[in-house]
This record gives sequence, C-alpha cells and structure tokens, in this order.
Amino acid sequence: MRAWRIAALLCLVAGAAQAQSPESLAWLRKIQEATRNLSYTGTFVYQHGGRSETSRITRLASADTERLEVLDGMPRELVRTRDTVRCYLPESKVVKLERRTPDRSFPALLPEKLSALAQHYDIALGETRRIGGFECKAVVLTPKDNLRYGYRLYADTASGMLVRAVTVDSAGNQIEQFMFTQLAIGRVTPEMVKSRHAASGFRVEDAEAAPTRLAGWSLSSELPGFQKVVELTRRMGESKPVGQLVYSDGLAAVSVFIEPLQARRDPARTGLASLGAIHIYTREVANHMVTVVGEAPAASVQRIANAVEYRRP
Amino acid sequence: MKEKISALMDGELDQRAAAEAIGGLGRAGEATEAWRVYHLISDGMRDTRAFSEGFMARFSERLAAEPTVLAPASLPGRTPVQRFAFAAAASLAAVALVGWLAFAPQPQAPQPIAQAPVPAALVQAVNVPLPSAANDYLLAHQGFSPRVSLQGMAPYVRTVSDEIGK
Repeated sequence: MRAWRIAALLCLVAGAAQAQSPESLAWLRKIQEATRNLSYTGTFVYQHGGRSETSRITRLASADTERLEVLDGMPRELVRTRDTVRCYLPESKVVKLERRTPDRSFPALLPEKLSALAQHYDIALGETRRIGGFECKAVVLTPKDNLRYGYRLYADTASGMLVRAVTVDSAGNQIEQFMFTQLAIGRVTPEMVKSRHAASGFRVEDAEAAPTRLAGWSLSSELPGFQKVVELTRRMGESKPVGQLVYSDGLAAVSVFIEPLQARRDPARTGLASLGAIHIYTREVANHMVTVVGEAPAASVQRIANAVEYRRP
Repeated sequence: MKEKISALMDGELDQRAAAEAIGGLGRAGEATEAWRVYHLISDGMRDTRAFSEGFMARFSERLAAEPTVLAPASLPGRTPVQRFAFAAAASLAAVALVGWLAFAPQPQAPQPIAQAPVPAALVQAVNVPLPSAANDYLLAHQGFSPRVSLQGMAPYVRTVSDEIGK
C-alpha cells in the first residue's frame, strides 16, 4: 500500500500547486528551449524494472547534431542531425538510417501544443531540490485518466536543462527514469558529436520512409486524446515495406506497425511485451502482423491494438 | 497436468495441446484448481489491480447490451472446423475466467485516482518475450515521440540491450 501513500502525496503536492498555471507551462517551454538551444555533454542512467544502463549524450546546438552512446551491454551509437538519425551497430556492422519525412517526423512540442497538453494532464510545479549538483525545479504532469502515464520532470533552475525525468503509473509506482549523473553545459566541439564509426564501411539499412495512405487500415475506435499524427510506409531491417501509423496525445506516442504475414521470417507471437514505459503488443489482423509500440500503459497499447481493423477499400 | 496449465498460461502450448488443456479446464478438478492458483500467484507477483466491486454485475449488464457482431468476411488460412475449435476454446476460457472471478474472494479494491471509464472486458494479455525485431520497432517509433523535444535523444536509449534480447 506504500504506492498509494505516494500517490496520495503526489495528489496533495499537485493540488497544492496551482494547476495549469502559466508558470508551469513556461517551465515546460524552458525545458524544450534548453534541449534545443544548449550544447552539453553528460552521462546519464536509464533505469527500468530493476535494471540500469549508462549512456553518454553530447549535443552541439550550432550544428543541430546530437550523439548518444550506450556504454553498457551491446554497443550502440546513435547520431541525430536535423534530418537524419543513424543508429550504428558495430557488432553486426550495420547502420540503420532514419530520415525526416517531408511532412512531420521528429515532431517538436510547439508552444501552442504545450498548452494543448493541459487537456490530458494536470501540469503543476513541484518542489525544488538538488540533483547531481544542479538546483532543480520539479514540473509534475499528472494524467487526467488512466490511459497515459504521469511524469515528474526536474529541470535545472538556471539553464532549464532536464536533469531527471521519472515516469509513473496511475498508482504512483515509478516505471522508468532518466537521470544525469554528470552534466557539463557548453564547451562542445564538432569532434565530440561525430560518430566513431562514420567511416568504417558499415552496411546501410535505409528506412526509406514515405508518407502515404494505408488504404483500408484504421482504428475502429481511437483512444481518447490520441490523434493520428503520421501515416507512412517504411522498411525495417531487410523486410518488405511496413506500414506505420503514429498516434499521440502530445507527449506520449503509440506506433502501429502493419506487415504482411508471409513477409516475416519468423512467426511472431501474439501477446504483450514490456520494456520500461514501452509496451509492445502483437496480434494478427487480416493476414497481417500488427505490432503496436508505445510509451503508454499496457492497457492503452492493447486497446489500440485491438481496435486495428482492415476494411477492403 | 499442472505443467500443462502453467505452459498454457505462458502461451507455450501449440494449438492442439492448448485445446486439450483448455478442455481439461472445463471439468472441475486439479487443472481448474491449478489455473486459479497460478493466476492468483502471478497477479500477486505483478501487483495487479483487483477488479472493482460490482465488476461482474456491470460486466454482465454490458455484455447483455452488446449488439450481435456479424462475422467478418472469411480470410484465407483458417478452416471452418479450426475456427469452431478456436471459438469453442475461447468461450471455455472465458467461462473459466469468469467463473473464477465470480467465486474468488474480493480483496478490498483500492480507490482509483482517475475516473476514466475502463472497458469492461479488456482481458489480461498473454506476456510474451520482446519480438526479435524489437529494436527496429523502437528505433522507428522513437523518432515520432514528442518526448524527444523535451529530452533530446535520451529516450532512444530504450532499445533492447543484449541481455534482454537473448
């Protein structure tokens, strides 16, 4: 019952602060601007379900380039520029390439969208506390229903940089968290955001994503607050084209992947798999494998998956 | 029989063995008892929320009010006999689950924080390991997550590390 006490406490904290104050939205905006405009390098820990993983992240704002290197487990390196994301897998000598599609991938939370978040979350300021040497202000997003997770974001009061982000479920249990254990703002050189594998002759797997209408495919009922933001076809690994529909409430996103059954090498199993706040639900619809991936509670991901339907166009 | 029920719950039985095990559930006895106990254990371990009071009454009411669903156009791959077996197995499973819920003691339900309506019949999903292409799905998904604009690339770290993948 400890979780309930925490949840009750959270409600009290959220209730005490003024809900949806312009001040709390201003803090979200400050975080967003810091993420975009600052150059920084730091080490952070990603924790979920008793596991933790350390990574290094470096951003050079003037080049709009960011590099993420996972330091534990299977080596992975990701480099994001304005238009591409490259994921280098040195063990298999493969680089996976995602490109920005002309319409709206890599979405930004625009200021007007930020205020739209208030439809689904109570946004309030929480306590001020020191984290990793930074004086941080808490911004608490409490969902108005149980279809989405809640978030506690701790931002450096001086720069607005997000130092810690915790995802909580409706019972107040911590689902996952990201936390900088070391962070230095400024003093980033172009060399620091360059991939160490950039010239190693990796095989490129290009997603070749292209916006399209996936004729016949839709949701019989959408999840409240989640609207379709993109519809495209893409490649995944060496597969035949896969359809992807993305639904979002402005903060959480859920992707629906649709692929013909016969194109798959291995039979997929119907059911639910989890990784931190991410749930993956797989089921078969009209001779296609439907895989729904989202940072939302399992029931929400499952509801979207169960609503996927095909009608002969 | 107990091993079979355990394997059934983990989704490890093939269609025929599953049908057999589900058939066993229809007769009261060791299998039904194992089914009940295993679910109680797994719910306890996962700290699953108990159904709220009056769940069965509301469920029955809504079920009775549901319109009859017309069968969709037939898809290739499954013969009518298989389909019948599937439907029969599914209804048996539903009877077993509903029966258990109806007779299980109702622990005190915690007060829900949010009052959004929960669909009455969202069945607990079978838990499966992450799909082998999980990393591809995660990479493809992450680019559309608005969180990236608050957090930069950090959420991209949510790919499967080798220890989970294996």
